Amino acid sequence: MNFNDLLKKDYILLDGAMGTMLQKNGLKLGEIPETLNITHPQLITDIHREYIKAGADIVYSNTFGANSYKMKDSGYTVDELIGSAVKNAKNATAGKALVALDIGPVGKLLEPAGSMSFDEAYNYFKEEILAGKDADIIVFETFTDLLEVKAGVLAAKENCDKPILVSMTFEENGRTFAGVSVASAALTLTGLGVNALGVNCSLGPDELKPIVEEFTKWTSLPIIVKPNAGLPDPNSNTYNVGPREFSRSIGEIADLGTVKIVGGCCGTTPDYIKALKKVVENKKYKSAQIEKDTAVCSGTTAVEINQPRIIGERINPTGKKLFKQALINNDIDYILSQAVSQVKAGADILDVNVGLPEIDEKQMMVRVIKSLQAVVDVPLQIDSTKPDVLESALRIYNGKPIVNSVNGEEKSLNSVLPLIKKYGASVIGLTLDENGIPKTAEGRFNIAKKIVERANAFGIPSNDVYIDCLTLTVSAEQEGCIETLKALRRVKKELGCKTCLGVSNISFGLPNRSLINHIFLTMALEEGLDLPIINPNDEDMTGTVRAYKVLANIDKNSTDFINAYNEIKTEKPKIISPRASIEHAIINGLKGEASSLTEKALESKDAMEIVNGELIPALDKVGADFEANKIFLPQLIQSANVAQVCFEVIKKHLTKTNNAPVSKGKIILATVKGDIHDIGKNIVKVLLDNYGYTVIDLGRDVAPELIIETAIKQDIKLIGLSALMTTTLKSMEDTIALARKTPELQNLDGSSKCIFFVGGAVLTHDYAMKIGADYYCKDAKESVDTAKKVFGN
Amino acid sequence: MIKLTEINKSEALRYIGGGKVDMNDKMNALLKICEKEILETATPKYLYKKIPLKDSGLIIGKSIEQHLKDCDEAVLICATIGSETDKLLRTASVTDMAKAVVLDAMASVAVEQVMQEVDEIIAKENPDKFLTWRFSPGYGDYPIELQEKFLRILDAPRKIGLCTNDNSILTPTKSVTAITGISEKPIEKRRKGCAGCNLKETCKFRKSGERCEF
Repeated sequence: MNFNDLLKKDYILLDGAMGTMLQKNGLKLGEIPETLNITHPQLITDIHREYIKAGADIVYSNTFGANSYKMKDSGYTVDELIGSAVKNAKNATAGKALVALDIGPVGKLLEPAGSMSFDEAYNYFKEEILAGKDADIIVFETFTDLLEVKAGVLAAKENCDKPILVSMTFEENGRTFAGVSVASAALTLTGLGVNALGVNCSLGPDELKPIVEEFTKWTSLPIIVKPNAGLPDPNSNTYNVGPREFSRSIGEIADLGTVKIVGGCCGTTPDYIKALKKVVENKKYKSAQIEKDTAVCSGTTAVEINQPRIIGERINPTGKKLFKQALINNDIDYILSQAVSQVKAGADILDVNVGLPEIDEKQMMVRVIKSLQAVVDVPLQIDSTKPDVLESALRIYNGKPIVNSVNGEEKSLNSVLPLIKKYGASVIGLTLDENGIPKTAEGRFNIAKKIVERANAFGIPSNDVYIDCLTLTVSAEQEGCIETLKALRRVKKELGCKTCLGVSNISFGLPNRSLINHIFLTMALEEGLDLPIINPNDEDMTGTVRAYKVLANIDKNSTDFINAYNEIKTEKPKIISPRASIEHAIINGLKGEASSLTEKALESKDAMEIVNGELIPALDKVGADFEANKIFLPQLIQSANVAQVCFEVIKKHLTKTNNAPVSKGKIILATVKGDIHDIGKNIVKVLLDNYGYTVIDLGRDVAPELIIETAIKQDIKLIGLSALMTTTLKSMEDTIALARKTPELQNLDGSSKCIFFVGGAVLTHDYAMKIGADYYCKDAKESVDTAKKVFGN
Repeated sequence: MIKLTEINKSEALRYIGGGKVDMNDKMNALLKICEKEILETATPKYLYKKIPLKDSGLIIGKSIEQHLKDCDEAVLICATIGSETDKLLRTASVTDMAKAVVLDAMASVAVEQVMQEVDEIIAKENPDKFLTWRFSPGYGDYPIELQEKFLRILDAPRKIGLCTNDNSILTPTKSVTAITGISEKPIEKRRKGCAGCNLKETCKFRKSGERCEF
């Protein structure tokens, strides 16, 4: 008997709780349940046997927490614990049931919420999967982080060929602790090709019903339902739903359709499974109609491609000097701010392209995707021409992304499509091939057809392929625009695929580009364009999409349109008072004024004159007020932010006039390895930034090696380290020690090239000196003073 | 379930520092916006469990021994306002640091408010007993590494998604673990004070002549 045989049944029965049975048998507080596999094998086998007798087709091995992180103090290895657990279960089955290797979450949080890396999680799971080689099935249960369970599923797929079941744990608000929505879980896991998916634990069957119903809308895979026996009483640890009520409720859930695999979690016993068997025994399986079959998602948010959705194009270095500079300087925050502003402006999805010859694209892509997913909720579109970059990004992406792109060339089809299949992504198909872009609509349609057919052959459904019929510059090939639109219409109609277009190409070389762009966008929308790739910050373009949705009767009651424009009307026009000065604007936190005033000042004054004569003195004044307790820290920061706006204006001016940007010195900032509290470091960054220093912010939880590597590469003189906790001061010490013994960071006379300043709640001046730092800074203001001293400015 | 309806703003300002500063409208507006966002984002969750102290392995060091010397039992507590709040703080750090500072302080106050409500629940459940004040790993010489054991006993990773990282830092970050002693007889009033606190050398409250009220 195997899992496929079981699938022929109308319903597959799982077991009930293991923990509840162990507690009944006297498991003590703090005792590790997995060790009983070795100390009391008969007890474990007997429990399995009871469940099989009650009707279970599959039993879960007693290995929920048997990973090497949780078991580090158990006295046993993962191999020993899992090996004996699977043996105990096998001894009970006697060919009547299958054994699922039960895998729970690692027990510490993945980045960005915690500090565990994707690879670390992968390795814990891999070890468990290899140890459970004699099991019939792999089951991941009680997961709350979608990316963590993705690491598990990949570990299973890459290290065994057993069927994979996944169930996640949702709260009553329809989300997991990590904020994962049902839609995101269903889309991502279905894409990854698991064999069944669903819910377990946290709630009783009645509370889980709406969550299961949501699942049925997003997946056609068999759904698993394994609820608790109702809700627990916090003191007695007993549950409030009995076997009969429990099984009746699950029967009702099964009527929703697509539900096929049922059992019980905390609080359930063999009696519950017995009752459940009675309910499903004579019940016919039915499938539900999947409602939402074309969508992408992040870990928290799904975007259905059932109407025009805006893909923001701004995370891309092409033609953007500041963006290129940010990539070279590792300035992730600049990229993140680009992301946040696009989302605010109305982007539904963000394209991410970090290809630049000067940098390691793979490393940067992974870093940017991780950082983006830590701050924005929208799904991402991974944009690269290199398959190895795509694969690295696809691995660590939380959700179901779009890949940009595949085209009709054999090489592209054969290298990109297998990745789309393996990682369950959607893909953009460009209608070009070895012979370039066909001139006619017919030619492009044929390539689109080929791409879809090849995708289907790899097992990728047509609705995961979005065809781009390619926009050509109308000033160069005027007849091309009509061909693009014609091809788009045919793709929609004949292939049933969704379509996308990069829009702004159309107007190169023409005056009033914005006008051409938004009229072209309107025409394309009317032909059925689903995914315009545009600059969402361009109000004409975003506005065109919004207006189209009203006129095409998509935005019902114009709700979104009204929401988008209601506030704008109430915004007062900016009036600059005649007495206004840059100093006044900085001290009072007036951003809008500051930028116009700086622009005006640049007409008559030299950039450095403005920086040293107006910006810095104003900041110093605010700094002094802060030290004298006259203003709050947030006010100091607000002033610094205004100064930053002035700096941006000056930087843009200098880049335009081809002068080197103003910088008073380059400084690395990092929160050390193991520490994830970075607010202090971020405050220091804002201040240094606005005093004109170039800050290379390496983020939080930064390994000493990365800090040293960056210091060498960028020829850095000053490094600031932050640590909040006593437990991470050691990392600070390690980082400084590593710098001191790195030959590239020593001068010829043996002195050190790098100067360290350190700060953080538990640090003292004495301790800072003891670990080899050069300066201790009690707050952000002192960091600025230190930088002034070190750079002599 | 605990639902927060407001955040103690003056407490948040104390966390930010600069206690004698005059408030202006802009600062007031910022506080209001931040309070609203924290209330919308926070998902307070808590667990507690009464345990016998004998052989618990939880009495390590002088501070806790002194603190629980009249107690045979104690309640282990943990609380968090969830990982979405961390995301809110990260996003603010990228777009508006001034707001990030206020949000961060308010989130800390929010967790403390949750803990105070849990204190009340525990007090109500033990009407005839005498309770010590809450003591957390990291206070005095009580090892911060014990947080992991607290969480394991409370089954916190599974039940409320609260874990530690390899450096004993709680994740989500806006979380607390603590222990409250239970005694049959009245507990000698001991001032909490700074003397036993391992932060006393660097504490910003002490520097400005204040106390953290611990």
